[in-house]
Amino acid sequence: MIGLAENAVSQALKTGASEAEAYVYEGQATNIGIELGQISKTDRIIDRGLGIRVVANKAMGFAYTNVIDDPKAVSSVIARALSAAKASKPDPEWKELPEKKSYVSLERTFDERLVELGSEELVNVASTMLDAAGQVDKRVFPIEGGIGSAYISNAVANSNGIVGFDKGTVLECSIATVAKEDDRVTPVCFEFNASRSYEVDPVWVGKEAAKLAVSALKTKPVETKSTTLILTQFALQDLFAYTLINAVKADSVQRNQSPFKGKIGEEVTSENLTIYDNGLFPGGLRTWAFDGEGVPHHKTVVIEKGVLRSFLYDSYSAKKEGKESTGNAGRAGYLSTPSIDTTNFHILPGNKTGDEMLREVDDGLIIYYLQGAHSSNPVSGEFSVVATPAWKIKKGEITHCSRGVMLAGNIFEVLKNVSLVGSNERQMGQLISPWIQVENVKVIGK
Amino acid sequence: MLTLKEERVEAAKQGIESGVALRVLVNGAWGFASVGSLDEAILESAVSDACGMARMASSRLKTPIKLAEAKVVSDRVEAKPKKNPAEIQMEDKIKTAMSVNKAGLGYDKRIKSFSIDYLDLTGTNFFVNSDGTSIEQDKLYVWSRITASALDAGVFTFSREEVGSTAGYEVFDEQPPEDLGEKVAKRAVEQLSAKSLKGGTFPVVLGPNVVGVFVHEAFGHLAEADLALSGGVLAGNVGKKLGSDLVTFYDDGTIEGSFGAFKYDDEGVRSQKTLLIKEGVVSGFMHNRETAQKFNVEPTGNARAEDFRVEPIIRMRCTYMEPKDHSFDELVEKVKRGYYFKSFRGGQANLDGTFQVGIQEGYEIVNGEVGAPVRDASISGNTLETLHKIDAVGKDFLLDPGRCGKGQTAFICDGGPHISVKEVVVGGSA
Repeated sequence: MIGLAENAVSQALKTGASEAEAYVYEGQATNIGIELGQISKTDRIIDRGLGIRVVANKAMGFAYTNVIDDPKAVSSVIARALSAAKASKPDPEWKELPEKKSYVSLERTFDERLVELGSEELVNVASTMLDAAGQVDKRVFPIEGGIGSAYISNAVANSNGIVGFDKGTVLECSIATVAKEDDRVTPVCFEFNASRSYEVDPVWVGKEAAKLAVSALKTKPVETKSTTLILTQFALQDLFAYTLINAVKADSVQRNQSPFKGKIGEEVTSENLTIYDNGLFPGGLRTWAFDGEGVPHHKTVVIEKGVLRSFLYDSYSAKKEGKESTGNAGRAGYLSTPSIDTTNFHILPGNKTGDEMLREVDDGLIIYYLQGAHSSNPVSGEFSVVATPAWKIKKGEITHCSRGVMLAGNIFEVLKNVSLVGSNERQMGQLISPWIQVENVKVIGK
Repeated sequence: MLTLKEERVEAAKQGIESGVALRVLVNGAWGFASVGSLDEAILESAVSDACGMARMASSRLKTPIKLAEAKVVSDRVEAKPKKNPAEIQMEDKIKTAMSVNKAGLGYDKRIKSFSIDYLDLTGTNFFVNSDGTSIEQDKLYVWSRITASALDAGVFTFSREEVGSTAGYEVFDEQPPEDLGEKVAKRAVEQLSAKSLKGGTFPVVLGPNVVGVFVHEAFGHLAEADLALSGGVLAGNVGKKLGSDLVTFYDDGTIEGSFGAFKYDDEGVRSQKTLLIKEGVVSGFMHNRETAQKFNVEPTGNARAEDFRVEPIIRMRCTYMEPKDHSFDELVEKVKRGYYFKSFRGGQANLDGTFQVGIQEGYEIVNGEVGAPVRDASISGNTLETLHKIDAVGKDFLLDPGRCGKGQTAFICDGGPHISVKEVVVGGSA
């Protein structure tokens, strides 16, 4: 793979590029699927390809292909990237591709056992999870889910000396359930485990999803008012992905799309919040040696005790400000050009366990799943979403579930009202976070 | 593919890919494999892999999967664009995109950022199955997303619009780039003076763009047979009256040039116009061959796969509400204190019938008249309750292209007339 990347770079330079970068991806995924209460499908996806960025006369061109065994196809993709660059317009702010820096070795990102895992074993794990869910209550119906194991590898080379190769594994099992009684059906309740190694607990996953679904069967309305919320990781991941995370991307800041512009060193959230973007977090779902441009992953302090410390940069946005890239060039495989993204967005935990947090709430709601977070205003941070469902907390106890509860507000105001951060940290996609308690959020009941 | 941010071409992109998706049914369990290769030896090993895995999974089956009969066809479907995007020079595409952005940026100096993503996809799908069907079908998609943000006195606004067609590049003749740029910019600027609204239950008038998303999210997903089987609230309700007489919805894959149109789906089944609910009575669901067999009906041609990397699943095509007889003024007139929601930003549904549609452009209605703009609201409710609360339906009709996520992305289209709804829950922070 490194050889292919390096060859593509030197061929691009020979045919007229002033700079070139090649990204090669190779991956294999095996999934066992649960549908309508049974294991009924399997799939194996083998995907590989090459994406090449070239610069000619300060204009960028990009081309990709998944036909990489044929040298002619590789030459033709380079020619396409060059023709795209020539058709494009010079960018006066273009400086250069990133330069070589050394990579650190990673812990817990590759597990040989996952590469060798056979479908029989995966079927067994899926079956264990399914049985665990079914045993909780007869009213539970697992609608979909499964287990998937993936091997991912990528190589980057560029004309500025970068040469890198990294490989990793991911295992994920998940289950989505509803509970049904008479004519009533609950919202979908979902649980999962994801890990870079062979460490998942299918029994826990099955049981938790089923327990939540059962507890959502009986519902009572809640009143319209401003109240205390405990936001679990599901809700945080959804809300942050469409608001806070945009605001800390250097590209949004430079393009006047972030309320955080000009606020480095200022207090922007409650002092209870400290957030790192840590691309080297041991065993993190987004832990890799380098980013989509071959820049080493890094730990960046984004918010420290409420004070904004840094934005997230790729090499283009960093060079624009005379800064160093923070290793945040994300990439959707070989099909896309790099763009700024978080690695592991880590909200540092506090001291209280989830149970302790619940016990100390006199009157509030705990929120798992949200509907409509993607309809938030990505610039201003305003959101208006539905909790599907919400659970009422009264005098330290979860009393009942409520459906159709809407939450509305501005995420940047909400973050100023974080009163407590739990110790129950878990990983969910790009987020590593505990539960967070916030005060005074507008809830619209029925 | 192109991305322009303000007047900068971020990247001009071109890609070529080929691959094979194959699916086998062994003892009632599915085996699916995807490889980016046409090599015979690789394909053979992928087939035997898929068969082996399916056999393994079938050991735990309670109800083996069977498929409904589908007509055996041999066909060649050719795309006939007036302007084939594959033959338009990259320079010209950049020019079109640049005129959108220039029009947007020039509209008002409070517009701080303006982007356009442009994508065209052209290619050919070859489909064969063991029944003897063999289809060669051209694919053609032209799509664009335009976004603007405005900033004034610490207030940020955001506006978005999409363009999509299966006809050809001529879509930019029908919707000139300058008009598109202005439309997106104008909304962002108007939103600057909008106020946060008060949450609660209100009567509303919904524009075709919001009605389309309501039909798609609140009803369409629940009428996908796989989700109905999963316990969605429409299950067991075919033939029952669940909405007011004014409610008639279709999912139609046959509207030529529309963003959800195609002749055959990815199981080789002919696309059609599927009636979902007629005058409030649920007529049927959207099916693939697997669910059609379970319901003992004909497949409706709704099995779609994003590309060869994923299996076909039940997806919508062009989903809309049938217009009736009211003018816009008549709809607004009867609302004493409520809102007019004209354009959406995102929407989502749940199996229990809870829906949510975010609003990017809305106005107050006071004493029967459209008033001041409101910002960043959303509406929510329960589908089954809301279908009864639709009290008047307009005579106008509009379709908008969109994209739908269900693990995979599908290009779809939705719309309808203006309608009025007696009450929905409106989420606002004031």
